[in-house]
Amino acid sequence: MKKYTLIFALFLFGICTSNANDPAYIKAMAKQLEALEKAQTTTDFQEVANGFNRIAEKNSEEWLADYYAGLALVNAGFRSQEGIKEKDAFYHEAKNHVEKAIKAHGENAELLTLKGYALMGELSADPGSRGQHMSSVVMGAFGKALSMDPENPRAMVMMAQMELGMAQFFGQGPEKACGMAQKSMQLFEKEAAKTSEKDISPRWGKDMAEQMITQCK
Amino acid sequence: MKTFITFVLMISASVGIAQTEIKGIVKDSKGEPLPGVNVFIQNTYDGTSTKPDGSFSFSSDETGDQILILQSVGFKKQELSVQLTGEPIENNVTLKESIDQLNAVTITAGAMEASDENKAVVLKPLDIVTTPSAMGDVVGALQTLPGTSTVGNDGRLFVRGGDASETAIFIDGLKVGNAFGTTANNVPTRTRFNPNLFKGSFFSTGGYSAEYGQALSSALVLNTVDIPVRNQGDISLMSVGGGYAQTLVGEKNSLTASANYFDLTPYQSLVKQNFDWERSPHGWDASISARQKWGNSGMVKAYLHKESSGMEIWQAEPGVDGKGSLVKIKNDYTYAQSSFKQIGKNDWSYTGGLSYSLNKDQIKLGGLDIVQQTELFHAKGVAVKDFSPAFSTKMGVETYWSGYEQSLVSEDLSRNFMDQQYNAFIESDYYVNNQLIFRGGLRSGYSKLNDELWIDPRASVSYKFRSDGQISFAYGTFSQLPEERFRVVDNELGNTKATHWILNYFHSKNGRTFRAEAFYKGYDQLLTFEGDVQFPEQLRLDGNGVAKGMDFFFRDNKTFKNTDFWITYSLVDSERKFGGYQTSVQPGFAPLHNGSVVVKHFISPLKSQIGMSFSMNDGYTYTNPNIPGEQNSKTKSYQDLSLSWSYLPKPNLIIHLACSNVLGRNNVFGYQYASETNDNNLFTGMPIQQGAPRFLFLGVFLTLSSDKKANQLNNL
Repeated sequence: MKKYTLIFALFLFGICTSNANDPAYIKAMAKQLEALEKAQTTTDFQEVANGFNRIAEKNSEEWLADYYAGLALVNAGFRSQEGIKEKDAFYHEAKNHVEKAIKAHGENAELLTLKGYALMGELSADPGSRGQHMSSVVMGAFGKALSMDPENPRAMVMMAQMELGMAQFFGQGPEKACGMAQKSMQLFEKEAAKTSEKDISPRWGKDMAEQMITQCK
Repeated sequence: MKTFITFVLMISASVGIAQTEIKGIVKDSKGEPLPGVNVFIQNTYDGTSTKPDGSFSFSSDETGDQILILQSVGFKKQELSVQLTGEPIENNVTLKESIDQLNAVTITAGAMEASDENKAVVLKPLDIVTTPSAMGDVVGALQTLPGTSTVGNDGRLFVRGGDASETAIFIDGLKVGNAFGTTANNVPTRTRFNPNLFKGSFFSTGGYSAEYGQALSSALVLNTVDIPVRNQGDISLMSVGGGYAQTLVGEKNSLTASANYFDLTPYQSLVKQNFDWERSPHGWDASISARQKWGNSGMVKAYLHKESSGMEIWQAEPGVDGKGSLVKIKNDYTYAQSSFKQIGKNDWSYTGGLSYSLNKDQIKLGGLDIVQQTELFHAKGVAVKDFSPAFSTKMGVETYWSGYEQSLVSEDLSRNFMDQQYNAFIESDYYVNNQLIFRGGLRSGYSKLNDELWIDPRASVSYKFRSDGQISFAYGTFSQLPEERFRVVDNELGNTKATHWILNYFHSKNGRTFRAEAFYKGYDQLLTFEGDVQFPEQLRLDGNGVAKGMDFFFRDNKTFKNTDFWITYSLVDSERKFGGYQTSVQPGFAPLHNGSVVVKHFISPLKSQIGMSFSMNDGYTYTNPNIPGEQNSKTKSYQDLSLSWSYLPKPNLIIHLACSNVLGRNNVFGYQYASETNDNNLFTGMPIQQGAPRFLFLGVFLTLSSDKKANQLNNL
């Protein structure tokens, strides 16, 4: 009997390792998420991206590690002071992670939002010459994310930012953009209520909404 | 039970062994430390990133034979076998640079790219429509680039001492026959295609790839947009006409249909013209463009364009009083093409397609009734194999079937020819590293009509300095059969020839681009004839010549806020024996000094972009029969200042106003002389002038879509 219990236990163990509940995976993710939270400089974000990349290499059945590697690289791009070439290299690498995850796991609202975020980075690296043709591409990515998940707070707040930029450019009122920012705030609160601090699913971006709402006042 | 104990023992054994410390330093092949390299044990979470001094250190609980991986963007991934025993190990590693298309050197000799990609780009697609002097014509914007000359009474593209026929135009790699509208003598024309069809272009003023042939001087490759972003309707109302375009976009396909009508009559009745129009230029065009995604990475495109236009103009004759003779022109044109691209297995990729151009001109000149029809069919297939990131080969086959017929309806006379041409080309790129690239190619051709076989070699090399600049060199020979109107007279005519040598320096950093290029172009076997160009006799290929010079280009969108400007200077020293000339002369279409300045400034509070372009040259040569020699005189300097104002009151509405030659300068492009002397025993001359002192354009562009932000800035 004990033998069978053991086999059963080992069997369960075997299932667990290939499952998202793999404690080693969760632990590794949590460690990198903590580092991501603390990251300040381009170098920090590059290190965090490397960390997530190691997890992505080992756990190819998970899309989140590539997702966070991409997110860290987009952040590195926004922090970079080395000019357009380095910024573009970070965004390019971030998009590679997103594409890899989409190819293996299909599109979802989070990945599309992150793709839009990377494109937004490219746009803001040279708004003069990229603004015109890229703004519709960026908004297209957020639009698609919202059509897949209308409750996604990150897609909502970034769409709001784009709307605000467009409104400022054309000298229009910020009402629509600010309304969307408010909506995203509610969505962030809803998300916070549904999930816990310990979850490794995406929960970031609330500060963007807060900042926008302050701007709107 | 026994197994369980072994299991437990194994676990505790592995816990018992101390962690292994792994450390080392990572450098690049030049010995510089590499920070940010991801160093880890394969299939584990154990790893770290290198520090600014290239050093790394981490520990792992793993034991036995493992693989240590080092990876960093821009470098080849390295895998090392290590044995983890608890004893510290040290590994100093050198990473080799990988060939990285994003940052590697590109060949810039002769080439100027307009695209959104962050490479050796001199123009953005948007520049084509926002350059004031261009008036929305693709070629108009290219005339502000180095190596080109503005020939205001022609309107086509003249490159480095070559005539307009020496530039070949391709859409998605396929040849376009009669890309410019048919027009009367000395009345400028424009390209037939709307700039918003294209997402980018590649314009070469020499030394270009073996993929392109039958052009002595230049190749202009226009690439069409893939799938548009959204469903929309575009309305345009202009001082010269109007149009509508509807775009429908699906998940994997799209369809755009457009129709436009123009008539210059109302405009020309309001604004005084130099030309004596009996019937102002008028016409319509309609086009359909369809796209279908093919699998994950492929695309099939189809495009059909039809247009019809006409004009009637009185052209005075020098030394003769009165209105002169009436020239009536009616033009019908069709262009159809279909192209595909697909990525295959084993690093192969394929492109290809078919194109067909049909141009029919009906010209009434005095008592003569002339009809000419040109047909061109082009089929092309290209395969590219990437043997490694550093080495790739492109190979392709092409065939051109061309037909030309010229008839004098009133006399019931006609003549024609048909030719079939077969071409093959192969070209390889080899990256020694990210700094150095070699390209070599061969192009062969065979013409059935004159039973001639030819081979043209092409070669280029480019080296990128560590300080951002790069230097390129290109060499090539180029063959081109004479224009149809000459081949129909003498079917035996073979290729005219040119040899290019080009040295280029290119530097682009932080919004500033500098480009300098020196060139030498030798012409051989140029067409010569006796008599008038309308009725040439004794056609021979015994002309030759040289065009040499240098050009400079500087663009800056950083120094002044919201301002983007570029400055161009081209020196073209050209002499050749060609056409009806008895001696070697400087052609009338090749001024020695050419320059232009384009400035664009965005004023946010006014929601407006204002643009200014100024171009000038030192004058056009012409033959004055009253003094000895050929091309013995030169006109005064050509100068044009154009201004434009684009106003965006709402995101989906644009109002665009542009004016050419604001200063009203009376530019002269040459002189025509009477064929007989007058009472004073002199040939009477008459200047070749502009159609009007200025051209004023006003347009309102409205975009209708569910997304109110879309606009037609691309259509201006």
